[in-house]
Amino acid sequence: MHKPHRGTIYVEDAKVLAHEAFAGEQYIMRVQAPRCAEKAQPGSFAHLQCDPMLPMRRPLSIMRTDPRAGWVEFLYKAVGEGTRLLSRRKLGETISVMGPIGKPFQPHGDRPLTLLLGGGVGIPPMVFLASSLRSNPVYQPLVIMGSEVPFPFKPRPSEILVPGMPEGVIATMPLLEDWGVACRLTSGAGFPGCHEGYVTDLARLWLDTLSEEKRRQVEIFACGPHPMLAACARLAEQYRIPCQVSLEEFMACAVGGCAGCVVEVKTDQGPAMKRVCVDGPVFDAKTVF
Amino acid sequence: MTAEHSRRDPLAIDFCGMDFATPLVLLSGCVGFGEEYTRVAGFSNRDVGAVCLKGTTGQARLGNLPHRVYETPMGMLNAIGLQNPGVDKVVDEILPTLDFDETRFIANVSGSTIEEYIAVTRRFDDSPVDAIEINISCPNVKEGGVAFGNDPDMSARVVAACRQVTQKPLITKLSPNQTDIAENARRCIEAGTDAFAVINTLMGMAIDAESREAVIGNNQGGLSGPAIKPIALLKVHQVYQVARPHGVPIIGQGGVTSPSDALEFLIAGASAVGVGTALFYDPLICKKINQGIRDYLDRHGLASVGQLTGSLTLNTPRACG
Ligand SMILES: Cc1cc2nc3c(=O)[nH]c(=O)nc-3n(C[C@H](O)[C@H](O)[C@H](O)COP(=O)(O)OP(=O)(O)OC[C@H]3O[C@@H](n4cnc5c(N)ncnc54)[C@H](O)[C@@H]3O)c2cc1C
Ligand SMILES: Cc1cc2nc3c(=O)[nH]c(=O)nc-3n(C[C@H](O)[C@H](O)[C@H](O)COP(=O)(O)O)c2cc1C
Ligand code: FES
Repeated sequence: MHKPHRGTIYVEDAKVLAHEAFAGEQYIMRVQAPRCAEKAQPGSFAHLQCDPMLPMRRPLSIMRTDPRAGWVEFLYKAVGEGTRLLSRRKLGETISVMGPIGKPFQPHGDRPLTLLLGGGVGIPPMVFLASSLRSNPVYQPLVIMGSEVPFPFKPRPSEILVPGMPEGVIATMPLLEDWGVACRLTSGAGFPGCHEGYVTDLARLWLDTLSEEKRRQVEIFACGPHPMLAACARLAEQYRIPCQVSLEEFMACAVGGCAGCVVEVKTDQGPAMKRVCVDGPVFDAKTVF
Repeated sequence: MTAEHSRRDPLAIDFCGMDFATPLVLLSGCVGFGEEYTRVAGFSNRDVGAVCLKGTTGQARLGNLPHRVYETPMGMLNAIGLQNPGVDKVVDEILPTLDFDETRFIANVSGSTIEEYIAVTRRFDDSPVDAIEINISCPNVKEGGVAFGNDPDMSARVVAACRQVTQKPLITKLSPNQTDIAENARRCIEAGTDAFAVINTLMGMAIDAESREAVIGNNQGGLSGPAIKPIALLKVHQVYQVARPHGVPIIGQGGVTSPSDALEFLIAGASAVGVGTALFYDPLICKKINQGIRDYLDRHGLASVGQLTGSLTLNTPRACG
């Protein structure tokens, strides 16, 4: 019997190549994990052993990969014991990385206006998705990122014009700017060049400037805290735009074996409990909100 | 040691008439319905003697609300709530997709009533599974909700009822959440069990002090992992005393994460050793445990892993002075 799922997740002893700290206990870590780098897709995550003293792994989204150089990059916030131990891992140390895991985002070619919404540590999969969309001329991605703590990069004024953006909302993520991907930032903390408010507020302003016909070409992709995803789902429903969200739940195995990471999903046969690790982490927003 | 054994791989064992390639058994609830871990490159069901499938009930169950799993010091809590598609779907749709030439597959039966245990066991009896494990740690909803396994009378009634409807090897999975596990084991042997699995998880709780909330959706959950190993070793030792005279073998389990852990369970009296939570730490752990056991057998000049079972030397306890 053909079993395409077999051998698709790799366990690698990954050397830490770079590990940088940012404000708000945020970290960007690059590790050498060539097999994971080769197979990861936007939305995939990896299950990492933060420290040998803490045997249970922690799930982190993959932000960037370089399949040729064989590295994978994560952006995470130290929130508890595991992520705090992870933040102490030094260059040259090895970390057991298991990945790539999960069903990725699936953009539909008939909706080229891809709207990517990332909040806080929900930014990583949006960066990955943007990097893959930019290599396909069909898509015109617009990324909106929000953070209440300083962004884990130095925002700079964008030279990419985004019609429909309010006056003065010009700050962008330099990496995306260099890729030629349109991006704008939002925050309630009053950072210069950022829209004052939530990602969904700015997304709504932009959507309101689109014609009905243009709106039918939009698809939303979102990752971030639960209330933000709920707001994204409402926005998408209101504007009748399809929306894919990446969810989080506590995990043990991360390969579908323990049914520990489930969320309730609406299906044609009624409610079902689906595993975030292998049935997700990306779900159709209208089935989970 | 039989002549047959000496020709075989030193890791191979006979468990209730089944050939196990190694003494390792993947534990129920940790590996879904047998295929999930094969997603991991380098993992193979051939590395273990048997795979216990997820606990299965008469009807489909959606299970508990999240959070269902949580790491605790040297272990974890789980309260999955027996999410499963129901025995008919398991038999009709899942079992036909399993590779029975890779390993032995053991069904794991759960129920809220004795009638449900009987119905599920009967359905598995008429299926390709190699053996049937009954998880008696479930609450008996008809009789006050106390877990069947916490009461020797109720345990024996479940075992006797299942025994009536299957000829396949019947493994009773004992709960540590009871006063006298040896007495319970004795009653289960009388009721016709062929083997034991010792131990299931211990009930526990986790609290978030900041929010003053229970972390687990179900409030309480089963504790597994290295934290429970010393308890599990003692329970295996106690059950072995009762089971040995009847030739009833044990799958020892609870916190096995290394070759040395596995060896300790064998020495305490187990014939096979379960690996559950350790897979979450390292999905490729079984290869390492197998190799470690092989090295140990070499080092100790043993021809078969079976020679280790119950080879424990006890001290003679006495008060000093
Ligand atoms: C698919 C997926 C992708 C993720 N991607 C990122 C990312 O890119 N960057 C990032 O900063 N965080 C991400 N997270 C959240 C991250 O996994 C948690 O912040 C982390 O597990 C917390 O562990 P801790 O020990 O530091 O915290 P503690 O609060 O001490 O954790 C205790 C336990 O709860 C679990 N837990 C707590 N919060 C979460 C959570 N939000 N999600 C899952 N498990 C949790 C932990 O895994 C651990 O088992 C992701 C989660 C998932 C499920
Ligand atoms: C997530 C999880 C789910 C489990 N589900 C079941 C189950 O459905 N039926 C059962 O008999 N035991 C179940 N168990 C118990 C295990 O099979 C095993 O007995 C226990 O975890 C001790 O072994 P360990 O410390 O190696 O994990 C479960 C354990 C875990 C961690
Ligand atoms: S974490 Fe085990 S099924 Fe998802």
